[in-house]
Amino acid sequence: MISVAGLGKTFQSKSETVHAIRDVSFEVAAGEIVTLLGPSGCGKTTTLRCVAGLEKPTAGSIFINDRPVVDSKHDVFVPPHKRNLGMVFQSYAIWPHMNVLENVAYALEGRGMSKADMRAEAMRALDTVQMAHLSDRPAPRLSGGQQQRVAIARALVGRPQALLFDEPLSNLDAKLRMEMRKELRRLQLQIGLTSIYVTHDQSEALAISDWIILMKDGQIVERGRPVDIYCRPKKVFTAQFLGATNLFPGTLVALDGQRARVQGPHGDLIGVLSDPELRIGAPVQVSVRPEAIRMASSLGGTGQADANQIAGRLELAVFAGNAVEADVRVGEAKVLCLLDHDADLKADRDVVLTFAAEDTLVLANE
Amino acid sequence: MSVAEAPGRAEPREAAASRLSRKIDWRVFAFVTLLLVLLYQVAIPFLMIVWTSLKTVRPGEPDFITLTFSLSNYVRAFSSSSFWTAAWNTLLFAGASTVVSFVLGAFIAWVVERTNTPLARFIGTMMVARIIVPGILITVSWILLASPNIGILNLVARDLFGVRNFFNIYSFGGMVWVHSIEMVPLTYLLLSASFQSMDPRLEEASTMVGANNWRTFRRIAMPLAMPAIGAALLLLFVTTIETFEVPLLMGGRARFRVFTTEIFQTTSRTPVDWGLSSTYSVALLALSILLLVIYFRLLRHGESYQTITGKDFRPRRIDLGRWRYFTCALSLLLVFIITGVPLLVMIYASLLPNWQAPGIETFKSMTFANYDSLFSTPAVLMPMLNSTLVGIGTATIVVLIVAMISYFVHKTQFRGRRMLDYLAFAPIAIPSVILGATFLWFYLILPVPIIGTLTIIGLAYLTKYMPFALRFVSNSMMQIHRELDEAAQVAGVPWHRNFFKVMLPLLKPGLLAAWFWVMVHAYRELTVALMLARSQNRTAAVLILDYWEQGSFLKLSAFGVIMFLALLVIVVLSNMLGKRYGVREQY
Repeated sequence: MISVAGLGKTFQSKSETVHAIRDVSFEVAAGEIVTLLGPSGCGKTTTLRCVAGLEKPTAGSIFINDRPVVDSKHDVFVPPHKRNLGMVFQSYAIWPHMNVLENVAYALEGRGMSKADMRAEAMRALDTVQMAHLSDRPAPRLSGGQQQRVAIARALVGRPQALLFDEPLSNLDAKLRMEMRKELRRLQLQIGLTSIYVTHDQSEALAISDWIILMKDGQIVERGRPVDIYCRPKKVFTAQFLGATNLFPGTLVALDGQRARVQGPHGDLIGVLSDPELRIGAPVQVSVRPEAIRMASSLGGTGQADANQIAGRLELAVFAGNAVEADVRVGEAKVLCLLDHDADLKADRDVVLTFAAEDTLVLANE
Repeated sequence: MSVAEAPGRAEPREAAASRLSRKIDWRVFAFVTLLLVLLYQVAIPFLMIVWTSLKTVRPGEPDFITLTFSLSNYVRAFSSSSFWTAAWNTLLFAGASTVVSFVLGAFIAWVVERTNTPLARFIGTMMVARIIVPGILITVSWILLASPNIGILNLVARDLFGVRNFFNIYSFGGMVWVHSIEMVPLTYLLLSASFQSMDPRLEEASTMVGANNWRTFRRIAMPLAMPAIGAALLLLFVTTIETFEVPLLMGGRARFRVFTTEIFQTTSRTPVDWGLSSTYSVALLALSILLLVIYFRLLRHGESYQTITGKDFRPRRIDLGRWRYFTCALSLLLVFIITGVPLLVMIYASLLPNWQAPGIETFKSMTFANYDSLFSTPAVLMPMLNSTLVGIGTATIVVLIVAMISYFVHKTQFRGRRMLDYLAFAPIAIPSVILGATFLWFYLILPVPIIGTLTIIGLAYLTKYMPFALRFVSNSMMQIHRELDEAAQVAGVPWHRNFFKVMLPLLKPGLLAAWFWVMVHAYRELTVALMLARSQNRTAAVLILDYWEQGSFLKLSAFGVIMFLALLVIVVLSNMLGKRYGVREQY
């Protein structure tokens, strides 16, 4: 278990103090994988490096299995080599002057193990990542995916208390990334190691995590289970960052339990209230995912009592394999829709967009 | 796709096609010309050394160009004890200087690049700035500091402690010290570059698997740095066996002769012993070629370590705690010794009416008389002008030629383009003494009357500085995407226009760096200029040597200060011009 509380890190540049992260707190339960997600510069890597001990935070505390490794109040700082963590770097950091087996076995040095034991342990770790057959290959002759596997074996071999991943898939090509993403998840479920995973790729985060923590400008924006955070985000930033979304501005005019009515330039829209704090009269954004939208050529019965309908003009529809992407102009705004792959591609025609109230989210305006 | 097939072109096919062929002609013409120039400039010196060593008559005599050869020069050299003494001394001198300058340079590079020592950037800048202090001035200033009887340090030691001649710069140790001090900036440059290119993640990964700092250093950092360190050591060694200033000025009184001084002596005493001189040259050349071959193998080995790199690079700096004040003080002291001391000694000596140790009376008696007498001697102006002309001229021509070479090597598919690269790089193996000698010998045979002019010095410099300029320019050429050139070709821009309007502006950072490097080094160069010096083409460095031989140290110092200032003015002015005109460096 890892618990981080009130973590802060400032860098002193020439004229100003830069807050890389500010008041970051979260917990990682034993055996779970928590993803720090966010755009570049949001502080996710800095947070991870503070947990690793590669950066010294300026405020806050970090406990690993109830042992304090950082406590800035009591001036506690355990150096990284005494934290017993495994880390997979973005660049893999495979030592080029060693072969595959040596790279992994090096992680066991200084523990009083015999050469033979070290070798056996390292081979076992390589076996877990299906690299045992390449154990004597020199490191510079490995492909990106193979380096990735060696890096994981090296992180695992010392039986660390937790694993840290710093954007481990970002240097792989798209196809390999999809494969490795599933394999990482399988491995994590199999070994059940407490892990922190850093990425800027939302689909990777959704696939791999037990929990997602979304960060922006050095602070935590929102946290939740992947399904919840994707389907029911509380913040506009979350809705935008986790996949594409369409936003319509408006004012909250009526509330009926979870259902909210919003008045705006696009007419009245009904949706699910995401933030119970919102009061009538508040400025809000209505968020609809592109795949939740249906398109028809005229207004008509939808069969649903509380479906939203907006009229617009189809400007361009392109075939994208598993779907058709359509740009629909609605007043000033452009709405992105993902339609069935057999949808009509003919552009320049008036259309009506329909989306159910339960697929519509009413978010606080930021 | 060729221009003729480009859609939307209204002109007839024939016209476009003929324009295409004309464009290719220009490129081929430039390529062939370049190849011929390089063959002339580079192959001939190599040929001349070997040829002369197999001849018993001197260049210029009719028998010299016949095809009769003899090994008698080699027999003579190998059977003389002075050859073997010089060989042993050369190796000893090079070995010791390499070790000393490596230790000092590695320490400063480590402090500047890998620790949190205060003032690190200032220390690095001062280290690099030393490059514009001419080498001969550094040698002279250390002699003035520590020579027996007159050295400032010895005079001070005598006055304070009553010790006579505590230091003797005219010794093996003295020579090693001065030459090492001179090479420290080079060591620093070589090592700081490789320290910067080391991926800090590799060390962090070691820390993460539980290795402490010492094991990380021993098992990860050191092995990874080994190729770069080995390459640096070799280059320092080669630089030392080729060096000339220190052995020339100090080796005589220290009774310590090396290959370069032997070559100079046999070439400059009458009667000139051409055969013996070229035999020494062949030996020296063979040694440096051997070392350079190892050097390049090590470099390639080092590059294979750099195939795995991360994206974000923040050098890992070691927190030294309180020790950082100690490293700061020690580095500042070293920088003072390396950069500050030579300049201060020069300025001090240039203001003296006669040579004396520092003291209150000395400072009271200081005058500008030395400068006055210099400016009233018209003969002084000429060498200064010569140096400026040769420096700026050589730099400009070298940079243009090297830009073309790297264009052909990296951006075209011509057959034989690798040949250009090798030819331009080969002169790095030719020691300056030999380069000067071969140009002299060659133009003694060739009926082109350029001996005694600046042209012959410029030609020799062209060969000498090409390899270094090529390194700078090739690095920036490789960063320019080939498509930029291809876009211009497809758009139908003539080749020469494209080269001057697209390539040169894009190359500006590399060109500027190369230009400065060549200009500064050609301006202050002594060895080649000395070998080729006659009355009309003396350069500033040669004049300094003249003053040295006449024993006019004070005038020498004043002239040295002026020379340094002149170089500084040129560097600052051209830096300003470079910033003002041309493209901003944002590629």
